[in-house]
Amino acid sequence: MTQASPGGDRAALEVVHLSKQYRSRKAEAFEAVSDISFEVHAGECLGLLGPNGAGKSTTIQCLSGFFPTSKGKVSIKGFDVHTQPKEARAHLGVCSQEDTLDTDFSVVDQLIQHAIYFRIPRRIAHERAEKLLERFGLRDKRSQAIESLSGGLKRRLQVARALISEPSVLILDEPTTGLDPDVRRMLWDVLKEARQSGVAILLSTHYMEEAERVCDRVAVMSRGRILDIDSPEALIARHISKEMVEEEVRPGVFWKRPPNLEDVYLKVTGSHLGVAGL
Amino acid sequence: MRVPDRMWGVWSVWLRYFSVFSKSLPYYAVTTFLEPLLYLLSFGLGLGSLVGDVETSGISLSYRSFIFSGILAQTLLFQGFFEGAFGAFVRMYYQRIFQAIAITPITLSEVLWGELLWDASKASVAAEVVALIGVVAGEFHPTCLVILPPLFFVSSLLFSAMGLASAAFARSIEELSYPQYLLVFPMFLFCGVFYPLEALPRGLQYLAWALPLTSVLSLIRTLTLNLPLQLHAIPLLALWLVALLYLSRRLMMRRLVR
Repeated sequence: MTQASPGGDRAALEVVHLSKQYRSRKAEAFEAVSDISFEVHAGECLGLLGPNGAGKSTTIQCLSGFFPTSKGKVSIKGFDVHTQPKEARAHLGVCSQEDTLDTDFSVVDQLIQHAIYFRIPRRIAHERAEKLLERFGLRDKRSQAIESLSGGLKRRLQVARALISEPSVLILDEPTTGLDPDVRRMLWDVLKEARQSGVAILLSTHYMEEAERVCDRVAVMSRGRILDIDSPEALIARHISKEMVEEEVRPGVFWKRPPNLEDVYLKVTGSHLGVAGL
Repeated sequence: MRVPDRMWGVWSVWLRYFSVFSKSLPYYAVTTFLEPLLYLLSFGLGLGSLVGDVETSGISLSYRSFIFSGILAQTLLFQGFFEGAFGAFVRMYYQRIFQAIAITPITLSEVLWGELLWDASKASVAAEVVALIGVVAGEFHPTCLVILPPLFFVSSLLFSAMGLASAAFARSIEELSYPQYLLVFPMFLFCGVFYPLEALPRGLQYLAWALPLTSVLSLIRTLTLNLPLQLHAIPLLALWLVALLYLSRRLMMRRLVR
């Protein structure tokens, strides 16, 4: 299944002028993503930061090739996801926002079955599954049914499943939403390890702290557009001139703190009410 | 034997279903094989002993033989439709299996082919078991076990596609009751499973021929009971098959891909 990339030194994930319109007979066409472009290189983590409805999930559906694009091009390791979907997706691991675990399989069989879709030999799939169960703290759950897992365990398993094919590009759609802090940190560590091993990661999140901590670069999205894209430090330096910002946290109680990515987000999206001096 | 790359997607989806099936064999044995057996016992042995002979296409035959061949077609209808409708709806809507597989190197088109081929395989095996009972009971000639499977597979593919199209159209699992009561049960009751079509008024006979189960039944009775071949059954069956395969895949694609 794996083929030599035609792209040579190109970015692992390339998105060029991507637009996505939803068309409906009953309503006017709605443009969920408008002319966005970015690249993610091997060993890099790019964050898509934005609120619900910003277009992050639609972008991810187009990147995985599940939704067709209205305009623009998406390539993974040089393969176009729409004209060469099999070759492109052979390099791709996706952890979607919804729970898509296959409830007909136990925890370990879930991983092995997913590997089979990538035509990974069963023996290798077993070895990889055991390693992932160990890394994600799921070894003692290996034979359990999916329904018996808590939300946090399911999320861990879904990220582990995205890694079973040892992808070059890993896309995670809000992987830590609703997770306990310890599980969230464990996932951050996993992402760090994946990045160090050369995986290009695209992480969609609406947690500013997560974007600031995990991502090398962040694309701030609002209403389907990328408003700015750069490293968290560069974004803060570019948009927030003050060394300290003041915020009323409770009636009459003001905090002064260094500016962060949240301030950048509020400023570039024009929703900076409540934070003085942005 | 190595499966060619271009067939791997559909094959691995089919294997996924087979793997789930084989893990829960006692459950599937009951839900797949018990129902046609109950019909056989009830109508074949029970009602069959009361009715005696029936006449159809100018040929007189025992009601038991007639009903055995009817239950073959009913098995294809129920097993194909219900797996394609309710089974696929659960996999698509609740389990999101289609979506999970279709972001791997397997495309959504291959997932849908895998679904249809599995549904048809399962229904065909159920019908073959009924045919085997018919042979053991002395109602059919043993060669039927060899000549019937291709017809079983084509027919159950048709009914699976009918089920999948219904699943793609239904907004909730309850809405699958519409095709179940408005299409499947009328076919079951009026297409000649229980009595020769000639018993119906001529208008209803034309209506019955417009439904695919009548063509399936006609061909099954030709192969099992040596009734004369009603040639128009073949193009009618082919037409339904092509139309429903196209419709089911198109509707499901439109539902999932926006």
